[in-house]
Amino acid sequence: MSNTPQHSSNKTERLSEQFAQAVPTSRRGFLKFGLMGSAALTVAGTTATLTGCSSQPDPSSGFKILRPQDREFLAALIPAVVGSAYPGELAEKAKERTVRQLDGLIYTLNEFNQKQMVQLFDALSIAPIRFAMGGPWVRWQEASVDQVNDFLVSWRDSSLQLKRMGYVSLAKLVGICWYAQPENYASIGYPGPPTKIPVEPVKKAPVISTPESLSGEADV
Amino acid sequence: MSKRNFEEIRGIPDPVAQGIVDGWDVIDAGDYQQPTTIEADVAIIGTGAGGGTTAEILTKAGLKVLLIEEGPLKSSNDFKMDERQAYKDLYQENAGRMNKDGSMSILQGRCVGGTTVINWTSSFRTPEQTLQYWGDEFKTKGVSKDDMAPWFEKMEKRLNVSPWAFPANENNAVLSRGAEALNVDWKVIPRNVAGCWNLGYCGTGCPTNAKQSMLVTTIPSALNDGAQLIYNARAERLIMDGKQVTGIEITALDKHHQPTGVKVTVKAKTVVLAAGGINGAALMLRSDAPDPNNRVGKRTFFHPVAFSFAEFEKEINPFYGAPQSIYSDHYQWQSVDGPVGYKLEVPPLHPGLTSVLLMGHGEKHFEDMQKLPNMHSMIALLRDGFNEESQGGNIELAGDGSPIIDYPFNDYLWDGIKRSHYTMAEMEFAAGAKAVKVAHVDSKWETSWKDAKAAIDNLPYIASRAFVGSAHVMGGMAMGEDLSQCVVDSNSKYHYLDNLYVIDGSVFPTSIGANPQLSIYGMACKQATRLAEKLTGKKLA
Repeated sequence: MSNTPQHSSNKTERLSEQFAQAVPTSRRGFLKFGLMGSAALTVAGTTATLTGCSSQPDPSSGFKILRPQDREFLAALIPAVVGSAYPGELAEKAKERTVRQLDGLIYTLNEFNQKQMVQLFDALSIAPIRFAMGGPWVRWQEASVDQVNDFLVSWRDSSLQLKRMGYVSLAKLVGICWYAQPENYASIGYPGPPTKIPVEPVKKAPVISTPESLSGEADV
Repeated sequence: MSKRNFEEIRGIPDPVAQGIVDGWDVIDAGDYQQPTTIEADVAIIGTGAGGGTTAEILTKAGLKVLLIEEGPLKSSNDFKMDERQAYKDLYQENAGRMNKDGSMSILQGRCVGGTTVINWTSSFRTPEQTLQYWGDEFKTKGVSKDDMAPWFEKMEKRLNVSPWAFPANENNAVLSRGAEALNVDWKVIPRNVAGCWNLGYCGTGCPTNAKQSMLVTTIPSALNDGAQLIYNARAERLIMDGKQVTGIEITALDKHHQPTGVKVTVKAKTVVLAAGGINGAALMLRSDAPDPNNRVGKRTFFHPVAFSFAEFEKEINPFYGAPQSIYSDHYQWQSVDGPVGYKLEVPPLHPGLTSVLLMGHGEKHFEDMQKLPNMHSMIALLRDGFNEESQGGNIELAGDGSPIIDYPFNDYLWDGIKRSHYTMAEMEFAAGAKAVKVAHVDSKWETSWKDAKAAIDNLPYIASRAFVGSAHVMGGMAMGEDLSQCVVDSNSKYHYLDNLYVIDGSVFPTSIGANPQLSIYGMACKQATRLAEKLTGKKLA
């Protein structure tokens, strides 16, 4: 980890400027943007990790992996991903509950997938990179649902596999964490599972020694 | 709105909870405070289809068996039919496992009983064409159709496998009805259940213990006969002296699946690796096990799965009823080693999983989700590994030693995904669907087969555009006598170590061409019986 963060950082800024100029105005521009986007996503993620953006969440928050900026990002995605299913029965708890579900899920991913996810969050927390990558200039929590939707669409329809993968992963994670919550079953006509009533195991009655059994066993 | 099929499930005793109260030798590795060493005649790493079957046979033969499981021990009292809980407790990576480029989602078990706890109970013998191909291409010995028949029969009896006798639920009936209309052959799926309630929650752990998974059959039997089980225990590394495995380093895990920092060591005369594809190969790679031709982790197969959705006028309620009961092999064996063949089945649709399969976001995605009660889905499982163009995936290691699954998609596989989209869409319309949408980011609901066909013509088949899933992990440590391709002999012994045996789905040299559980049970039954004979010197029936 004693790499050269300064170098990476400069490179990222340089790339970000180039992206800003290469906003798709033509097919050619789009391709240029696409090709460099891949490098930027990786470099940005790495830079953010090396320069210490990639901290651990505060243990007192109760979150296992998501840091405040990650939670801000994911919370902003929720209404854009689930449409008018938001906020539904969960009402004012909708974001908090879903982000906690996401925290639990991302925490259990294997290192490779988890690292990729954290690098993605890192990249999207830095305004110039976020903007160059199709996100809003403003912080995620200040972004409108339309702005978040534009970001999702641009990633979905990108010629870059890395962005398409990012789109699918984000939409998938938010979707599963949303719809698997029982409060959201009714909105899609799912009556829900039967109620399971557990049966506790029975402790066998201890064998009580009677005088007969004692005398019987004495000879053995 | 649809009604619940059952209000409640009560009065089902939990055989595992009871077994523990009755004194089974079961250890939560997370409870250890001090470094510990455990000894056994045979250590079995993994408790799924391979490990469970092997444990019962070796224990019955009089050997002292230790079962080692990475995941937690959960049983029917814990099975609440809640996706959140089930994915967290019972699945690898919270059901979020995927390949390296994110183009395929992989469902695989991680709990005592392995994937048998969460599978959808479909039980097929290994197809004859597959066994023949292994003999021809990998020089497997003693695994012809006739050689295997008695072992399949034995396991079918043990796990109560028989064709589903109840009427198929509506989701499955779409497949038989559509096939009938197109004059395509279909059959009823054999299932490993006893007293099934027809609930529909096989995938979240059977709450009634009807599913004859390893959790309620072979593992309790082995524990009753004195075997020992340690769970929340990840086999980190095999310790070897060049010729033999001399020990296994175990990482004890806490309730959140994180290392507790306490090291456990297992010493056993014989080691059976039954951790399944991906994780078994990763353990071998972490251990730097001898592998002169660099074959460990190669040729890992997945039966890549394509999906198609259909909307019906009437209720389908795809979340209820035995999840898989009808299949068609019509497109499976048109050529053994030509363009990829596929098996047609249906998946159950519960909300979380459905939201993933439907791919997308926003209002459109929510509108799709709202069709759930009237929705059917069909799946095509691609039979990978039978053609030069289908070499399977490769298992690599991340910095922390966890597996990375490099399974790239090429034109050969995309061609299969696309052809199966046509097949499924046509069949769904033939069954009376009012609209069909294949699982692809660019796919829209089409209201006629003609329109759907034209739409599929124009879909781009590239990664993260078409949805691809997998629930079957096979291969990575091929079995056979051709050393240029295989690392395990036909009796499951690792070619380069004297006391290591691999008994699980990772020994299959190709994919199976059918849901693999019975293929694993049958092969494990044969190989574990031979191993028991070798270790005890006694002839077994």
